[in-house]
Amino acid sequence: MADVVARQPGKDPFATSPDTIVDEIARSRRRAGLRFALFFILTWIVLVGGLGLLIATSGRVHADFLAEYAPFFLGGIPLTIFVSVASIFFATIFALIGALGRISAIAPIYATATLYVSLVRGTPLIVQIFFIYAALPQFGVVLPALVAGIFALSFNYGAYMTEIFRAGIQAIPRGQLEAASALGMTDWQRMRRIILPQAIRIVIPAIGNDFIAMIKDSALVSFVALQELFWRARTVGSAQFRSFETLIFAAIVYWILTIVFSLFQERLEKRMAESDRRI
Amino acid sequence: MNRPFRTALSLAAVAGLLAACSSPAATTGPTGTATEAPMSEAPMSEGPAAPIAGGLLEKVLTAGKIVISTDPAYPPQSEQKPDGTYEGFDIDVATELAERLGVEIEWTTPPWEAITAGSWGGRWDISVGSMTITPERLEVVDFTVPYYFTPAQMAASTQSGITTLEGMAGKTVCAGEGTTYFHWLQGNLDFGPGGRPDPPPAGVIATTLPTDRDCAVTWQSGRHDFEGWLSAEPTVDAAIADGLPLVKVGDPVYSEPLAVAADKSGPDPSDLLARLSEAITAMHADGTLSQLSMKWFDEDITKDPSL
Repeated sequence: MADVVARQPGKDPFATSPDTIVDEIARSRRRAGLRFALFFILTWIVLVGGLGLLIATSGRVHADFLAEYAPFFLGGIPLTIFVSVASIFFATIFALIGALGRISAIAPIYATATLYVSLVRGTPLIVQIFFIYAALPQFGVVLPALVAGIFALSFNYGAYMTEIFRAGIQAIPRGQLEAASALGMTDWQRMRRIILPQAIRIVIPAIGNDFIAMIKDSALVSFVALQELFWRARTVGSAQFRSFETLIFAAIVYWILTIVFSLFQERLEKRMAESDRRI
Repeated sequence: MNRPFRTALSLAAVAGLLAACSSPAATTGPTGTATEAPMSEAPMSEGPAAPIAGGLLEKVLTAGKIVISTDPAYPPQSEQKPDGTYEGFDIDVATELAERLGVEIEWTTPPWEAITAGSWGGRWDISVGSMTITPERLEVVDFTVPYYFTPAQMAASTQSGITTLEGMAGKTVCAGEGTTYFHWLQGNLDFGPGGRPDPPPAGVIATTLPTDRDCAVTWQSGRHDFEGWLSAEPTVDAAIADGLPLVKVGDPVYSEPLAVAADKSGPDPSDLLARLSEAITAMHADGTLSQLSMKWFDEDITKDPSL
């Protein structure tokens, strides 16, 4: 402490106590933090406000048209959210099965799971969606539009999440597995009672992230006759020559949706990290 | 709901698309019924076509409703109102047909390429979507008699300065995906029994966007990747009326017969199509179609121009 005091030339080393200096530093840090937050908000107001002003004054936005069609566009949100929720649910199942396959010691199972991950991650999602909707029927496999859309999204996300799940499972310390075996647990008991409960806690924040990405990718199921948010905006925009307004409207709605779910996600992450925090 | 999901899950368990070949085939009935039920059972008389056992007409009448595909990005044929319901010429024709058939309508909105590609798998029963009768389409779908005839109209962006059809030679022309306009631009449009239209301007390059109107919207948004746009005359007229930056170029390049279509790979559609053809012929005769044409197009385009 004497060092700090000594490094302030021109000041009487005895006029300020060490406590005051600590307070001073804390205060100046707080001030810097406040200043940063203030400039952050100001910049956002300028950018978002400017962008909004630019769009509003472009002469392309007709308030009465938007007011007339807004309920129709917003009516697509329940389907967007339903598709996202259902898809993330089934993707989790695909991922769990895929991950168990990816850590399997049995060659054919490991190979199948690896092929699944490689094939799905190596092809565009839009190709998969069209394939399931338009190509499989020529093969005799006809899934209704809603099932085709949810299946395509969950099959795709399942492959990505497989790797997340595998990492989650492999993050469990080896010692625990050995301890479980020493207690006489079978492989399945070990998986169900020791590994999965901990692994799921690790992967839940990642699932939350994927869910937010899913809300955006759910727009792709507009190509399989599902009248969700994007389909409605695109079709009305095309029919009325108002793509500019309808697409901006859809973009803003998606943005708000992802912000709302990001807030949930942040809380979830905090909640999940609770047990790791040092008290 | 349950069965497809179980199918999906069983697919997941095997985790391979290859498995899709065998297992889910069991869940789809329609394929093959046509061979099981030869058409000979139903002797056709002068009266309304009788339903074939296992045919599409029987399916529709039993359900009391008909599932019809439409693409609401095509006013004045089909568009969606703010409350989500549909309106347009095709919609009115379909409504009248369903009424004469005595069944309810359920609308569905698959992408146009999925309709023209066939293999609907029973997801919808018929298309009342201004589909042109072509030999390629006849391989996967069957048609009724035409309910109207659309002139195909070439348009140019005002920016291009092109005013004649010949001026389009060597230029790029936009058309909707899976449309006859695109096929004509590529020089391979054929109406089968209806003959072949005149060839396109020399050296014309075809490009596509998802639906016809997207081409005009692209010009409006300030992009000029192509000079021309080929679409149905009513669609071009509507775009001009909406103040889009384009002009009509020359007379209509051809007139196409448009009809109701049904998938060949599903339950035998011949009885339903015969019944609908009778209704369409009656609607031609009693003036219903002409009246609807005047309502939506301000002109009667339901008369066969080749007669």
